[in-house]
Amino acid sequence: MTAATAHQAPAAPAAPQLATTGARLAWLYLVSRRIPAAAGLLGALGALLWIALAGHWNITGGPAARLVIPLVIETGAAGIIAVAGHGPFGETERATGRWLPWLRLGSTLALTGAAFAVLAAGATGGALPGGVPALLRDLAGITGTGLLAAAAIGGSFGWAGPMGYLLITEGALATGWGTPWIWPGRPAGDLGGALCAGAMFAAGLAAVTVAGVRSTRSRTALE
Amino acid sequence: MNVELTELARRFGRNQAVAGVSLQAGPGVYGLLGPNGAGKTSLLRMMATVLPPSSGKMRLLGRDPGNHTQRREVRRRLGYLPQTLGYYPGFTVAEFVEYFALLKDMPPGQVPRAVATAVERVGLGDKGRAKLKTLSGGMLRRAGIAQAIVNRPDLLLLDEPTAGLDPEQRVTFRALLREIGEQATVVVSTHLVEDVGAACTEVALMDRGRVVFHGTPGELTARGEGSGAAGDAPLERGYSAVLAAARS
Amino acid sequence: MTTATAPARPARAARRLPAPPSFLRLCWIELRRSPMPLILPLIALLFWFDSYRPSTTQAPLYPLVTFWNLGQGHTIIDFGPFVAGMSAWIGSRDGRRNTVDLVSATPRPRWAAQLAAWASAAAWAVAGYLACIGVTFALYAHRGVAGSPPWWWVAVGACAVLAFSAAGFTAGTLLPNRFAAPIAAFGGFLVMMMSSQAGFADRSGWALILPSNSNGNFQADSGILYPWLPDLPIARTMFFAGITVAAISVAGLPAAAGGRRLRMTAAALTAAGLATTGTAVGLASTARLSAHGMVIPALHDAASDRLTSYTPVCTGTGFRVCVNPAYRRYLADTAAALAPAVASVAGLPGAPVRAVQGPAVYDSADGGGGQPVTISGSPPVLSVPLGAWSFLPGINGFSTGPDSVGAFRQSVWLLFGQAFVGAGHGPGTPAQQAVQAALLQRLGVPFADQPGLLGSIELTSGHPEPLPGPVAAAAGRLAALPAATRHAWLATHLAALRAGDVPLSQLP
Repeated sequence: MTAATAHQAPAAPAAPQLATTGARLAWLYLVSRRIPAAAGLLGALGALLWIALAGHWNITGGPAARLVIPLVIETGAAGIIAVAGHGPFGETERATGRWLPWLRLGSTLALTGAAFAVLAAGATGGALPGGVPALLRDLAGITGTGLLAAAAIGGSFGWAGPMGYLLITEGALATGWGTPWIWPGRPAGDLGGALCAGAMFAAGLAAVTVAGVRSTRSRTALE
Repeated sequence: MNVELTELARRFGRNQAVAGVSLQAGPGVYGLLGPNGAGKTSLLRMMATVLPPSSGKMRLLGRDPGNHTQRREVRRRLGYLPQTLGYYPGFTVAEFVEYFALLKDMPPGQVPRAVATAVERVGLGDKGRAKLKTLSGGMLRRAGIAQAIVNRPDLLLLDEPTAGLDPEQRVTFRALLREIGEQATVVVSTHLVEDVGAACTEVALMDRGRVVFHGTPGELTARGEGSGAAGDAPLERGYSAVLAAARS
Repeated sequence: MTTATAPARPARAARRLPAPPSFLRLCWIELRRSPMPLILPLIALLFWFDSYRPSTTQAPLYPLVTFWNLGQGHTIIDFGPFVAGMSAWIGSRDGRRNTVDLVSATPRPRWAAQLAAWASAAAWAVAGYLACIGVTFALYAHRGVAGSPPWWWVAVGACAVLAFSAAGFTAGTLLPNRFAAPIAAFGGFLVMMMSSQAGFADRSGWALILPSNSNGNFQADSGILYPWLPDLPIARTMFFAGITVAAISVAGLPAAAGGRRLRMTAAALTAAGLATTGTAVGLASTARLSAHGMVIPALHDAASDRLTSYTPVCTGTGFRVCVNPAYRRYLADTAAALAPAVASVAGLPGAPVRAVQGPAVYDSADGGGGQPVTISGSPPVLSVPLGAWSFLPGINGFSTGPDSVGAFRQSVWLLFGQAFVGAGHGPGTPAQQAVQAALLQRLGVPFADQPGLLGSIELTSGHPEPLPGPVAAAAGRLAALPAATRHAWLATHLAALRAGDVPLSQLP
């Protein structure tokens, strides 16, 4: 390289190289968030759902009570998705280019999709109240609460959102509260419940995509 | 002798991090130089009794760290600052130092004064009540040094202690090392040769897990004279010359 | 030596308190900096929603207002999973913050440092729990809730919080990464929900140890007419204490926790904790039903069976009705309900001369409609088990709305009639059914409404059917008689009727 050529812009990479680089970046991002481990945990939850349905695990009570144990498992999945967004790099990563929001969006959607897939597979173990449509709605909505919690209070505590929502839902189901914001209590085809769950998921997804998960670690020790 | 190492080795899988190091050290300040990956940190961790050696013998402060009871006694008189300092962000500086003073089994009645002294010695006297998460990198490093010296150790192990310190703080820190080294054995692992030159009475140079030089900073400097080795300062040229010879 | 030369008295040395032991100082630092308080506001909000708010729909009696939150373990559900999650986060601290080497290079065993961190976190969690309970009980007192609080059940909840904290913390030490907290919280929720699944309806056996098994362990008159039976709470306290000790001791088992002797101590404590838990389960499985609650023979104190002495509150004139002061608010309605029923049988053999509140009989079932009244003694006294009745006027039980005074009166008349004719717990003979139906009709409950009334107070299983034709006909004839005629017939035949010796054909 000569001084004359030093300041020329580098040639644009070829498309296959871009794709390879993009995949490589995505993989590194996923690994940094320990998303492979999260996927493994989600798989375990799917297996647990299968066992629960096949074993007729139900808390004592009417139809609303039969929702509870599958809901607990879905909430566990949402909690894992919420904390998986937490990154170890802090400001170092935020001070980079334009890819970060896309990586956040893609990884969150991918992990939520994976959670849905394994839980749907687990639902083949027995009669899941509301079936797969209800599973999609409930999982998306509860995940939204986790994403919002992670964006607001930090990835380390993002699990508190879904768990809090679960507790409120459990109390609401017991007392017959019918608001669509308690979407697990609504029938599978209910539009109001679906809209509320969808809105919650969209809000959470937007929050973590744009703002990212709030970091509780302001810097590393050696910065 | 506070430190007696005989053919000490440590392997991580197929990687021989430390390949048979023999050293003896009494009171004074000892520098451990070497390029990245030379095995300095692994050696220091073994001396800090947090990493068991794969082979070889080690006696610290006249005791065998392989024996549980003797290891506890060593740790009571040990101060250790790792290369990557972990900390609890919610603790204040004073609490952080006090926490480790208590873990080091210092008599409870002595702890408050010892903490105050340690914090003052590293120049954080006015930051005692500040939470660690509010400190700059250099201040965090100094807080780490404070916890290492709070129990007035007989063996002080410091891994990259001056990382993040400004030049003035480094000068002060070197004076602190010399003061501590009058009575205790201080082992400083660093890749900054100027730290070694200014504070150490002896230096060992490691490369690829082995000690390739052991002597005084003046002897290391002499190795570089007329060798044509790279370096902006005499000690750096000696460093480069020894490494080049070890690798040829 | 002269005074001039006498040595000066030495100045009194400044008194210094001895320095607290190192472990306590460690705990003090951890207590001041523990992140556990960060989760307590969220828990308090959920506690208000899930544990306090539902209790405001209950009648102001301690067994009723605490049935859902303490009896069915909802305070534990509110605290346990979140405390477990937060404790796991705290337990994983050394791994997440890269302080393993720093802590390991100290003489104090790593388990000791961990114990200090856990103890502080647990102290915050239990303090938060007790604060929530304290505020709740203060609000109950302000509301005038009667009876005595179930302190033993509060202790069970506190021990449960400790157990969740210990289990979560140890999970965090063993799994020091970001997933420890959500896994621990999820696990806590799942355990509580499985507790509701495993033995919620069980009335005997090991499942009684489960925190969500209430199933009438809250006897209706506990803390009012009888003391709260401590047997089952003692067993549950042992259960959770054993889990706490075992769980936190597991953190002392890995090689990095300390020396061999310490790890052997941890192993012994783990075994002791598990043994305590197993003993508690064994004790619970020996529990048997008694008149006042679940009794565990090995733990039972006979003093718990004795009536709590009290000064009753009574009506002033006429048919005197006396109740426990906790039921003062129901005195006027009870007296008003009994008055016409007693008047309708005045002068007949066995007609009660006064009424007193009797203790409810524990039947280990949720809710409970209406236990029968009894007439006994000489002169005959009516015993009214108000505590067993879910149809008291106003809000009570798990009904969707308040019960009316009218419904209360009708239920009282039905129960009175059953006792007076000698039917007792069951439907009685056809003749007894007919006489009872006639008396009820004369008091103002049409024949057509009577099966529904029977079903609403759940004295019989299933849905009561309308009276069979001959019985209904006999009841109609009896009710249509002039009062004096009916009165005379009853005076002659009551003894035989109560003995079941009167066939339907003998009714006028």
